[in-house]
Amino acid sequence: MDAKLKQELIQTFSERLSQAAKMYLENCSRCGLCIEACHAYASSPETRYTAVGRAQNIRRIYEEYFKKGKIAKKLNEAVELSDHWMEKVYETAYTCTGCRRCMTYCPFGIDTGVIQGIAKMLLITANMEPKTLTMLADMSIAKGKTIEKTKANFAIAAKNLEKEVLERWRSEGGEEVVPLDVQDADGLYVALAGKHSIIPAAAIMNAAKEKWSLSYFEAVNFGAFVGNPAKTNEIAGRIIEEAKRLNIKEVVICECGTAYRVMKHMSGEKPFKVITFAELIARYVEQGRIKLDKSKLPGKVTYHDPCQIARQGGIYEQPRYVLNQLTDHFVEMTPNRQANWCCGGGGGLVAMGEKDFRMKSAKVKADQVKATGAEVLCTACENCHTQLSDLNEHYGLGVKVEYLSDLTAKALVQD
Amino acid sequence: MSDINAAKVLDLKGLPCPMPVVKMSQEIGSVNVGEVIEVHTTDPGSLSDFPAWAETSGNEVLDTEQGGEFIKIFVKRNN
Repeated sequence: MDAKLKQELIQTFSERLSQAAKMYLENCSRCGLCIEACHAYASSPETRYTAVGRAQNIRRIYEEYFKKGKIAKKLNEAVELSDHWMEKVYETAYTCTGCRRCMTYCPFGIDTGVIQGIAKMLLITANMEPKTLTMLADMSIAKGKTIEKTKANFAIAAKNLEKEVLERWRSEGGEEVVPLDVQDADGLYVALAGKHSIIPAAAIMNAAKEKWSLSYFEAVNFGAFVGNPAKTNEIAGRIIEEAKRLNIKEVVICECGTAYRVMKHMSGEKPFKVITFAELIARYVEQGRIKLDKSKLPGKVTYHDPCQIARQGGIYEQPRYVLNQLTDHFVEMTPNRQANWCCGGGGGLVAMGEKDFRMKSAKVKADQVKATGAEVLCTACENCHTQLSDLNEHYGLGVKVEYLSDLTAKALVQD
Repeated sequence: MSDINAAKVLDLKGLPCPMPVVKMSQEIGSVNVGEVIEVHTTDPGSLSDFPAWAETSGNEVLDTEQGGEFIKIFVKRNN
């Protein structure tokens, strides 16, 4: 590694050293309570798959460049930056899904996400980050700049979805089935690129007689996956500007955990509320704005808490409330809620491919699903849905993986 | 109906996020510079995603077609 890059990496590290980051790097007592909290270690017990093992790769750089005292450096195994050590930094960043289960077991509450954030920025500085994630982030930013040219085509595509939305819910005459650019709407629904992310949601919001508008932008934020705060803000900024332009009361994030985390917790103060689609469905049911038919969902149903919505966002009960309106045969997986095992696909791993690692590191998740005996595995995050579908196929779980939105839309009762 | 001759047809219908663009970026190298890939997708978002991806990767969306059961996007490899 040349001296110039080394200096740039030290500078990058320095810029990420908030007081919280310093505390997380210095306060670990190596108690080991985080070790078995990691799904990757629980599935494949190797030290490099532990939270403390990953963090040590970053702590040892910290000891070398940001701490004083020769003896302390030796005792704390300080290491110099090198090409070899950057491979370890890569492992820190991309064998972790950012699920933060380890944090809930840590007696000091060390946020591994912050340490992982340092690792990701070091990789970007060294031009070693996964290029797929950078490509997707750059595409999202470019989309913000070129959106005016493609709006007309998107509007035609939205119009073409009407038939499939109406199959789920027959709207009254004169209503826009998939509305765009609705000024002063109560909700701006931010979907993913696929129609499966739009159709059930449109049917449900129309059934609830919501005044809503579909965003031109996709919810997912690849700037966050690659760990680049500037790109994260720019991508989120497109949606924030759209919501401000339309004077929206509430931004409703589709079933995408990272999108929710970024918009709710990483985008500063905004003149609108941010909620998940699961919360919106629960509100509609509670207020009697939609009615659901339990006969549409036979068999045992279980629920996977997406890490970014549940452990990070605290949204535990609303999806369960909805599921209990959809079936009398809901069963919890064990453990659940805050202690639920991560699906193993977060942190950008699904987009990157990484199927061998994703399957190997999530065996504990597959075992957990199998133990429920459920026929339907429901979740509220597309990343989790993709990973759980892959696990279903790889481990022969024999479940049907479903979105909460889709199960709800299929059970809508039309008066 | 487009009269563009595609060297390859890429079926991306029904893929979850963000696979349509990921697959496209992986496949563009499989045709020669100047040749066209015809993408079939069911993602409305692809109509904005693909032009943005083309802009950042130096390629070009020549045309899009809607109205059938799926969306067609014609992408020319430029580099």
